[in-house]
Amino acid sequence: MTAKVWRERVTYTAMSLFVAWHTLAMVVAPAPDTSDLIKGLRTVLDPYLHFFKLDNQWNFFAPDVGEEGRDPIGVILRYVIKDDAGTLHRFDPDAGLNWFRPSSIWFHDWYRALLENPDDFGEEFAALFCRQHAELHPVAITLFAAGQKEYGPLDRLRGKQPLDPEFVNVAPVKSFECPP
Amino acid sequence: MSALGISARAGRKAFAAAEQAWSRLWFQERPTTPLELVRIGIGAALLLHYLSASSYLLEFWGDAGLLPRALALRDSDPWMQSVFFYFTAPWQWIAFDALFLFCCAAFTAGWRTDWVKWIVLIGHISFVYRNTYLVYGVDKILAAVLLILCLAPVGRAISLDRVRAVRRIKRARLDAVLPPYTGRWAGACTRLMQIQMAVLFFYSGTTKLLGDQWWHGDALWLVFSSEEYYNGLLLDLFARHYWLVNVATYSTVLIELAYPFLIWQRATRPYLLAAAILLHVQFAVLMGLFYFSFVMIMGHLSFVRIEWLRRLGTAWKRAIGDMEMIYDGKCGFCVRSMVWFLAFDGLQQIRVRDFRKNPSPVVSDAQMEKALYLVLPDGRALPGFEAYRYAVLRVPGLWWQIPLFYVPVFSRLIGHPIYNWVAGNRSWLSSILLSRRRS
Repeated sequence: MTAKVWRERVTYTAMSLFVAWHTLAMVVAPAPDTSDLIKGLRTVLDPYLHFFKLDNQWNFFAPDVGEEGRDPIGVILRYVIKDDAGTLHRFDPDAGLNWFRPSSIWFHDWYRALLENPDDFGEEFAALFCRQHAELHPVAITLFAAGQKEYGPLDRLRGKQPLDPEFVNVAPVKSFECPP
Repeated sequence: MSALGISARAGRKAFAAAEQAWSRLWFQERPTTPLELVRIGIGAALLLHYLSASSYLLEFWGDAGLLPRALALRDSDPWMQSVFFYFTAPWQWIAFDALFLFCCAAFTAGWRTDWVKWIVLIGHISFVYRNTYLVYGVDKILAAVLLILCLAPVGRAISLDRVRAVRRIKRARLDAVLPPYTGRWAGACTRLMQIQMAVLFFYSGTTKLLGDQWWHGDALWLVFSSEEYYNGLLLDLFARHYWLVNVATYSTVLIELAYPFLIWQRATRPYLLAAAILLHVQFAVLMGLFYFSFVMIMGHLSFVRIEWLRRLGTAWKRAIGDMEMIYDGKCGFCVRSMVWFLAFDGLQQIRVRDFRKNPSPVVSDAQMEKALYLVLPDGRALPGFEAYRYAVLRVPGLWWQIPLFYVPVFSRLIGHPIYNWVAGNRSWLSSILLSRRRS
């Protein structure tokens, strides 16, 4: 057999092995970790999946629209700044984000990360928000998680809004002193 | 024949049939055109997205920003690598970002695609792993699609690389034709992209079946009443006609579940493709997920059949009609310009005629001494700048020049004198080119 034929065969085999491997990776990556077979395959595939960021679930808005089943709809960041006269000022940073700017998604994700990890990011964000509202002469800031509760079509017809107090569960997350 | 012989023969037959089926599934000779459409769309989306990220580079992805390196590394493993983990000074972030953006632009245009595509992949994964808190669906889809594009022989069609290849052979002979690229690996990578999209829809649909909100048909109401995707107009409509929420919710699940099964068949593919694209157009318009939706639509384009593109090309050529460009074959500068011009004519809509060897029945030699001419299907002949202007709008490969040729008043005001000057000095320009080539 000529070298050319051998080369073609080796190339064909290598291509076949690769497409089989990559297809397996694509199918196994989002599969639930409930069976021993999937767990075993993951052990082999994980380095490949992680290195190329293929370890994705593809579970958009699923199984529920809300985050991790905690709140029926979602949770947003809210903060209250106390100025040097003792007056409290409430802010909903998510409300100011513009759909048409890609940064809106990054900021939204950051706020969510902050609510999930207040010990890691709380201080940086508190300082950032205090700086943003320097004209208020802030002395302290408290972060809150506002969980959106069920808001139905009848509420809409009654003229209510999704962020009206009766549809929001507000819980304090952490308080910080504003840097001087 | 012995039983052993019979079973060996049957085994060989079965193996040959399996190998044939495997080859038909994966390794059919195919052009890269559908993947090139994906490349152009994904490249443009990445370029715009990361251009807007540049102003937040150090704040979101830098060590002195909101996520210090130690925190970023805390939740990663050795396989989750980012070039940003190895940088120490802000100028390194900025230099890499500039290189990455340049490669995104080159990837979109298909310039030196063989290597820029890898820098695009490395850059995207580096952004993703440096700050995983900012990662959402589209970043994951992009990583999956980009890897396949990197493995594929993209850049062989609808690209500057193709223009360079065509130009190379046309420099030897102006009427030479470079056949379109086809390859078995291109077929395999197209199939991988299609499977990726089908798997994505399959899991997206099946995970929804695990949630009550989707079963009860309320999911879309909850989406649009959330702060993140709030849409007041739509909520007003839905509140009055709640059945629309049910229809939209069930339709979403139905499309996502049907897609991975019915997209493969010849008869059902156009409908599933149209439904999936329509679904993503709605995500873009109603939820503001422009980037995500655009990237998904680009992924779906891997299912575009090559026959559809051919038919589209033929219909376009028929609608525009034949064009003949008449040029001066004795003028080296003119020939060189024609080579460049024709290299962008991927559909081969323009025929060429050297009036020195083959005089035109429509345009006299005296006219040709002054300018090149474009003869239109209706027999009209446009000279010089007007010839280029006409062709630019009708040859898809030249559409990138439309902004230059179609600025009202300004294009003609500047274009005519420039063309006339070049045409009047073409002998001198040719001699400069010739002497440069000799030296």
